[in-house]
Amino acid sequence: MSARAGHMALRGFWYLLLLFLYAPLAVVVFYSFNSINSSARFAGFSLKWYRQLFGNEAILDAMANTVVLAVGSTAIAVVIGGALGYGLYRYRLRRWGWLIWLIYLPVIMPDIIFGIAEMTFFVAINDWLGLLAPGLSTMLIAHVTFQVPFVALLVNARLLALDPQLFEACEDLYARPWQRARFFLIPVLMPAIASSLLLALTLSIDDFVISFFTAGPDSTTLPIFIWSAIKKGVTPEINAVATLLIVAVFLMAAVSLMARRPAGKNR
Amino acid sequence: MRGDSRQLLLTLLPGVGVITVFLVLPSIYLVGMAFLSTGPYGLPTGPVSLQAFRELAGFGFLGWSPGNLYTLLRSIGQTLLATILVILIAYPAAYYITTRPVPWRPVLLLAVVVPSWTNQVIRSVGWMNIFAPGTPVSDLAAALGLIAPEMGLFPSRFAVIVGLVYNFLPFMILPLYAAFERLDTAQVEAARDLYATPWAVFRHAVLPQTLPGLMAGTVLVAIPAFGMYVVTELLGGGRSLMVGNFVARQFTQAGNWPLGAAGALIMIVVTLIGLKVLRDLGRRLGGDREVVL
Repeated sequence: MSARAGHMALRGFWYLLLLFLYAPLAVVVFYSFNSINSSARFAGFSLKWYRQLFGNEAILDAMANTVVLAVGSTAIAVVIGGALGYGLYRYRLRRWGWLIWLIYLPVIMPDIIFGIAEMTFFVAINDWLGLLAPGLSTMLIAHVTFQVPFVALLVNARLLALDPQLFEACEDLYARPWQRARFFLIPVLMPAIASSLLLALTLSIDDFVISFFTAGPDSTTLPIFIWSAIKKGVTPEINAVATLLIVAVFLMAAVSLMARRPAGKNR
Repeated sequence: MRGDSRQLLLTLLPGVGVITVFLVLPSIYLVGMAFLSTGPYGLPTGPVSLQAFRELAGFGFLGWSPGNLYTLLRSIGQTLLATILVILIAYPAAYYITTRPVPWRPVLLLAVVVPSWTNQVIRSVGWMNIFAPGTPVSDLAAALGLIAPEMGLFPSRFAVIVGLVYNFLPFMILPLYAAFERLDTAQVEAARDLYATPWAVFRHAVLPQTLPGLMAGTVLVAIPAFGMYVVTELLGGGRSLMVGNFVARQFTQAGNWPLGAAGALIMIVVTLIGLKVLRDLGRRLGGDREVVL
C-alpha cells in the first residue's frame, strides 16, 4: 500500500469516527422534530414536543433545578477548589503526599460507589440529626465534592507553570496579601479560573449517577427526568429535552473555543 | 509565621474538609456497612457478621449459585473488550490528528471531546434511537441475518459494548495524542530505512514512545468502564449487567444494603488490583521504566 493510499484510508477512518461520535446526538436532535413519537420513522417536521415541553410543569421544574444546581455548585467549588489549588502550591514544600491522594479520591472513585456512599451517609445523618434530607442541598454538596479536585488541580497546574520569582517579587515590593491577590494572583490565574469554571459547570450538567442517588423527590434534574421517563416507558418529549441539553453543551464548547483563542495569542 | 499558618488553614481547610466529610467519611461508613447484618427493609443492623460476603459469594437459602460470580467475570470481560476496541480506534485517530496542520489540532481534539460533555443518559438515548427495532441500522442487521427480524439491536450486549466504547473513546484519544505529538519521528524513519515491517515499526519505534499515553488512557478508560452503571442499565438486557448495576440494585430495588456495600468493597478491591496489573504491565512493556502513575 502506497503512503498516499494509506493516508486516504486514514482520512476515511477519521470521517467514520466523526460519524460514530456525532450520530447518536444528531439522531436525538433530528427526532425531536418528528411529528410522531417514533425513532424509526420520520413522519414530518413538527415543533409539538417543544410546545408540550414548555407546557410541562415537571420539565420546567427539572430545568430550573439543573441550572440552580450547576451554577450554585460551580460558584462554591471554584472558590473552595481555587483556594485549595493555591494552598497546595504555596505550601508544597511541606510534602503532603497523602493530601494528593485525598484530592484524587473523588476523581478515581467509581461514580456509582461515590453516589451510594453519599446517599447512605446522608440518610444516616438525616436519621440521626434530622439534617440534610435528600434534595437540592444534598445534591449541591455531592456536586461540590466532585468538582473541587478538578478546580484545585487546574489552578495548581497553572501556578506550577509560573516563574516562582514572581512570588518573590511580590514580597520584595511589600505587597499585602489582598494586594497580592488583587493585582497578581487573580489576573494571572484568570485563564485557569475560567477553564475550571467551564469544567465544573460541564461536570455538573454531565453528571447523572451521583445526582440520581443523592436526589430527593422534589429535586429532579433534566437527566433524572429523562431517566425516569425511560424507565416508566413514557418517552414523548425525551428527545426534545435531550436536545436542549445538547445545545447547552455545544454553546459551552463554543465559549471555551473562543476563550482559548486570545489566550493562545498572548503567549 | 503565625499569619502564615492561619493562611494555610484558610486555603486548605475548606477543600480538604469537604472531601473528608462528604466523601471519606461516607466511604468508611459504606465499607463498615458491609460487615453488618441485614435488618428490616434491607437496612444494616447489628451484630457484626460476614453474612453479606457469604451471600455475595453465592451462598443463599438454596445452596450455592454462580450468578454473582458470573456478574463479576462479565464485568471484567466487557471492560477488557471495550478497552481493547477503544485502543484500536484511538491509535489511528490520535495519529491522524498529529498529521493535520498545528492550528487545526485543538479544533479536531475538541470535536472528539465535545460529545463526551453531554450527559451519559442522553448519549445512551441516542444509541437507543439508533438501535431500536425498526430503525435503519436494526433493519440492516436483520437483513444481514445478524439478528432476528422485528428485534432491535438493543437491549443487547452489543449495544452495551458500543455504548462503553462511545463513552470512553475521548479519554484514550487525548493522552495518545499528547504522546504522538512528542513522538521522535527520526526513530520511525530509521526503522523504515532498515526495512522493518509496519508491525515491527509500530512495536519497536511507535509503541515504546507512546506507551505512557497508552497506559494513562487505559487507566482512564478501564476503571470507569468497570464501574459503569448508566450504559448497562439503559442499553443492556439482564445478561449484560455489571457489578455497578448489582450494587445499585441492592440499594434500590432488592433492598439489601450490607450486600450492596460488600459488592462495592469488592468493586474497589478489583479496581485497585486492576491498577496494580496495569502498572506492572506498563513497567514490563516499558523496559522497567515507570509509566503509570
